[in-house]
Amino acid sequence: MEDENSVLTRRNLLRIGWVSIIASGLLSLWPLSQYLTSSEDSLQSDIITLKISPLIGNQWYHIENTRVWLKRAGQGYAAILATCTHLGCEVAYNSSQQKWFCPCHGSVYNAEGTPIAGPAPRDLARVAVKAVNDTLIVNIGKVVGMDRQIL
Amino acid sequence: MTQKRTQENFLWHIRARQVPARALSVVYTFCLGGISFLAFVVLAVTGVLLMFHYQPGYSDGYHSVLNLASVIPYGAVLRNLHYWAGQIMVITVALHMVRVVWTQSYRPPRELNWVVGVSLLVITIILDFSGYLLRGSQESGAAATVAVHILQLVPGIGVGLAAAFFGHPTALSGSTLMIYVWHCVALPSVAFYLQGYHFWRVRKDGGIKPL
Ligand code: FES
Repeated sequence: MEDENSVLTRRNLLRIGWVSIIASGLLSLWPLSQYLTSSEDSLQSDIITLKISPLIGNQWYHIENTRVWLKRAGQGYAAILATCTHLGCEVAYNSSQQKWFCPCHGSVYNAEGTPIAGPAPRDLARVAVKAVNDTLIVNIGKVVGMDRQIL
Repeated sequence: MTQKRTQENFLWHIRARQVPARALSVVYTFCLGGISFLAFVVLAVTGVLLMFHYQPGYSDGYHSVLNLASVIPYGAVLRNLHYWAGQIMVITVALHMVRVVWTQSYRPPRELNWVVGVSLLVITIILDFSGYLLRGSQESGAAATVAVHILQLVPGIGVGLAAAFFGHPTALSGSTLMIYVWHCVALPSVAFYLQGYHFWRVRKDGGIKPL
């Protein structure tokens, strides 16, 4: 049945198929191990520490890679969580307008984090912050009231 | 191949000894059943892998999908493979049914396999829909709310049925533990066994070319 002169016999074609199945299986081992060992979605520690910097003034200052913004308040510091109280999108502070804006459904908060427009039902959460020597320790797991924000 | 080997191994068993020449033509079947099964295999593999990072629940569902799609290495590939294999399967299963009607393959002796096939079509659609709910987005919440209310209209058992299948989705997220278990364990197992039976009956009823 098979044509002797043909390079691509049925047998060869099937062999190529098998080899490529095995090869792609082996090639996917590394990506698979990356996927299975990823801890990107696991809970991270609630404690954020950083050096006190002169950048933290009377305007909210964003701490990289977190949702925490800090500013000087009275004798100490205030920490606020930039998580919209509507559905949890990350809000950003616009220092020229002195307002927080949510990109998702248009909630607007004033500088103190009280909603003034949009669907947001509550104030942005304040969390505990403490200055120890030249370090600030923020505990994003500990929500505090507006009045107790300065530690 | 010895007679003994034929009897022992299901995989040999399912290969037809003889096939009608007409059925060997690709245009006769367009391999639609085979493509559907291939999609099912892809869905099973990627689905199990997605379960390692997915968490059902009101807000966890949506956030774990976001994590999968954005920060977890290769999570987006798996999620998209799962999504597209699901879409393709619904289409090929439906076209497969059209082909069976076209070639009149539902007629005796294949009536039973037609019924099995229609059940598989229904299960495929429910699987696709529950997958949509598990994304946990706002649309999924709206879809779940509509589905719950439709199901509750069934006299007598409707309310119980809706609770057993959907749990209690909110209007903002369709992701619940109930739907998760139906989608990942119960319905795929039923579909898997029905498919095995479906393919075996194809052989029994006269056979068609394997893909
Ligand atoms: S999440 Fe911010 S307005 Fe909806």
